[in-house]
Amino acid sequence: MSVDASTVHGLPVSDTNRRSSSRGVLMGVYWVTFVLVAAMVAIPVIALVYGSFRTSAPGLPGDWTLRNYAGLASSGVLSSMSTTLVIGLFTSVLSIIIGTAIALILHRTDFRYGRIVMPLIGLTFYFPSFILAMAWIIVGAPGGIYNTVVDDMLGMPWLRADIYTAAGIVFVMVLHQVPFVYLTMRGPIIGMDPIYEEAANAAGAKPYEVLLRVTLPLLGYSLISSFILTFVMTIEQFAIPALLGIPGQVTMLATQLYLLVRFSPTDYGLAAAIGVALSLITGAAIWAQRRVTTAGRLTTVTGKAGRIKQIPLGHWRWAANLLCFGFVFLGLIMPMVILLYTSVLKWFTVNPFDGMYTLRNYVFIWESGSTVGSFTNTLIVSGVGAAVGVLLGLLCCYFTLRLRPPGYRALDFLVSLPFGVPGVVLGLGLLWAYAYLPLPLYGTLTLMIIAFVTRFLPYATETIGGQMVQIDKSLEEAAWVNGATRLQGVGKILLPLVSPSLQGAYFLLFMAFFREISSAILIYSVNTSVISISIWSFFEQANWGLASALAVVATLIIFVAMALITRMVSTAGRG
Amino acid sequence: MSISIENLTKRYGPLTVVHGISFNVAKGEFMSLLGPSGCGKTTTLRCIAGLEDANGGVIRIGDRIVSAPEQDVVVSAHERQIGMVFQSYAIWPHMTVAGNVGFPLAIRKVAAQEVERQVDEALEIVGMRHLRDRHPSQLSGGQQQRVALARAIVGRPRVLLFDEPLSNLDAKLREGTRTEIKRLQRELDVATVYVTHDQEEALSMSDRVIVMDGGRITQAGTPKELYRRPANRFVADFVGRASFIDVTRMNGSGWSTAAGVRLRLDDAGAPPATRYQAMLRPESIDICHGAARGKADESDNILCGHVVESHYLGAYTEYLVEASGAKLKVHSRSDFDVGAEVTLRFAPEFCRLVALGDEDRV
Repeated sequence: MSVDASTVHGLPVSDTNRRSSSRGVLMGVYWVTFVLVAAMVAIPVIALVYGSFRTSAPGLPGDWTLRNYAGLASSGVLSSMSTTLVIGLFTSVLSIIIGTAIALILHRTDFRYGRIVMPLIGLTFYFPSFILAMAWIIVGAPGGIYNTVVDDMLGMPWLRADIYTAAGIVFVMVLHQVPFVYLTMRGPIIGMDPIYEEAANAAGAKPYEVLLRVTLPLLGYSLISSFILTFVMTIEQFAIPALLGIPGQVTMLATQLYLLVRFSPTDYGLAAAIGVALSLITGAAIWAQRRVTTAGRLTTVTGKAGRIKQIPLGHWRWAANLLCFGFVFLGLIMPMVILLYTSVLKWFTVNPFDGMYTLRNYVFIWESGSTVGSFTNTLIVSGVGAAVGVLLGLLCCYFTLRLRPPGYRALDFLVSLPFGVPGVVLGLGLLWAYAYLPLPLYGTLTLMIIAFVTRFLPYATETIGGQMVQIDKSLEEAAWVNGATRLQGVGKILLPLVSPSLQGAYFLLFMAFFREISSAILIYSVNTSVISISIWSFFEQANWGLASALAVVATLIIFVAMALITRMVSTAGRG
Repeated sequence: MSISIENLTKRYGPLTVVHGISFNVAKGEFMSLLGPSGCGKTTTLRCIAGLEDANGGVIRIGDRIVSAPEQDVVVSAHERQIGMVFQSYAIWPHMTVAGNVGFPLAIRKVAAQEVERQVDEALEIVGMRHLRDRHPSQLSGGQQQRVALARAIVGRPRVLLFDEPLSNLDAKLREGTRTEIKRLQRELDVATVYVTHDQEEALSMSDRVIVMDGGRITQAGTPKELYRRPANRFVADFVGRASFIDVTRMNGSGWSTAAGVRLRLDDAGAPPATRYQAMLRPESIDICHGAARGKADESDNILCGHVVESHYLGAYTEYLVEASGAKLKVHSRSDFDVGAEVTLRFAPEFCRLVALGDEDRV
């Protein structure tokens, strides 16, 4: 084959150059993104592993050692390991059963109050875990509302219960995790192609038989995936086990790590080793979950939302009502009422008729420099951090889903890594890292933003990527053949089309940052305290009133943000 | 402007999907790439458009080389000045009809007034001018199709490319749009490559058709050539309906069926092969009741057989007739019962010899 050389060289020079300039810009941005993400993810992980082999605290001279890993086999660590696994399993099993039951009731039966329960479960999902735990301490502590009522008022001491136990932790964890299960199971349940159930119906199966023999088995992969994620979120959960477990001396791995760093005798090395162990467990679980989702992709969900016949609840209507409303009451309404009540009391009392009511807690929030400061910090961290996270998430999605330059798989892997790293562990990793790195980041809001963005980057990429894969590639190709460069294609076609998911991701990150505590608890300083930390400290100082008032304000802000998202997503859906 | 392709090769990793194919499309010519899914036709089109980077060979649009990877020449899609209609239409949902159609001009910095004028003109041509301010979500599939057409022709492209543009339309609409596309292409008088897996579309619209299979060109020719004289069994099967009878060369000259019936057939230019079959189109066979009454006409072929199946299709009935050891499809407007003795009669020019490659599935 021969090509007329003169024709080739006769090409206008700009042709090949313009191609490379548009691509060159994109490749430049790609490498910057790659290095940033790699640094954000790798630095804390490497520092954590480094720390786990050191004898001393971060920044102090020390030696290499294996002692910390030997420490993992000590009876204390082993017992918190088994406590962690047992609590994790119980919580996941119960959450899966209750969450799936609620999803089936809401979306597969003739349940009448779906329009009321659905948004309330959404609110419960965004209800911060440490605030939920606080409310339940006020209710269930030995001197709390519940025990006072059964003991002093009803005279039935055999009904006494203690929230500071493993069972109490499981109870509150389940309340916190059920909305997550509901939200992950809802999609598969709604999106399931109804023909499978119709076929079973036509084959003579009764509605509940269809449910047991067709629907649930078809949901199998989603159930397993949701189960594993719930398990991971439970064992990496920090606030609930810390608030409930430390007073009752029920120690999970995440709390033990925190205790080893924050209270003497400190042992940063052992804490790092525990962090590595915990990350390995969660990482393995996430890996298994990915495998399950890939395997399950071939089945059932077609996206054709069909009109499926609803299963009549019949005699069981009362049970469905009890489950749904009972959950919403225990997980959201009662805790909110309790917090509101506690926040307006001068001194805590169980009997509302004995109470002296006051607004001084709210006034204090306004007037105290420290709470106003933590509000400002939170708004800065959430507002700026979410913007950074969305930008980074968008770039990662574009590179891993569209441009796919060399090394994009590595980027994809790096981005998904923080999914497996618990918040406290990330915080500890950063603690180790910035004791050595010559960057003046320790004790700054920037470090807080770095921690939050790293931890929640997968949220951004999942949200944005989810929409980006649905945008037909030919829409961009059509722009190219019609004269647009790659960059113009991104700017004029792709960006406008993914913008709803950018807004969604922004608010999701904003809310996640707003209520985040586990990765902040080890790296905050007096000047960089955020709301969640302030609430936490007030509560630890037994200032229930002030903690409650602050919690009420923070929750309201979160709920307003959530209402904004819902509004925005529904407008985007219509347009 | 013409399109010329020499030795085009495209690989995905270890998998070669286009094996060094060559063809030319003259100015004003309508060329279809026809083949089953996975035959490489869409990949070829995307290489011409610049949406895929070819691995080898030369693609010229006019006298300009747009792709010659061996010489390190790759002109980006946005530089090739082509009009393209996508299978999914690819109408941008966030722009109005006018925004979509005007995009190729606006992005090339054409003055706003001129954009307006040309958009109106293009929309007028496809009969969509009254909907210029609508959003794509308010349009039917057929209307979106027309917007895609208008956008493809608005920049006065040097070539037009179509990627199965009718496959998402319903049957009625498809026929009308076929005529429309053909008319537009005649008016614009540009080289056109049209990818389809629908043989009817390819036959009715094209000046020439290229049949592809497994990343290679199986046969190229006018629709009539392909239908009447397919190069091999694959083309015969893929283009139109056909039945086949195994034939062998008789001692002297001429051909006979396995049952020993002598057949007169069109064997001009048939390639050498180990096995041969005679191909018959169902509409070129006459069918009548009863066993053969002598050798009525020396110039026609006559086979006796009986009806095995009958499928009423409205305009005609398709019969499956077992004759001379083969099952032949025959179209007729007369009625025959299953099991009836029938006589088949067909002229030699409609009985084409096809070579049977070893890889052909019989």
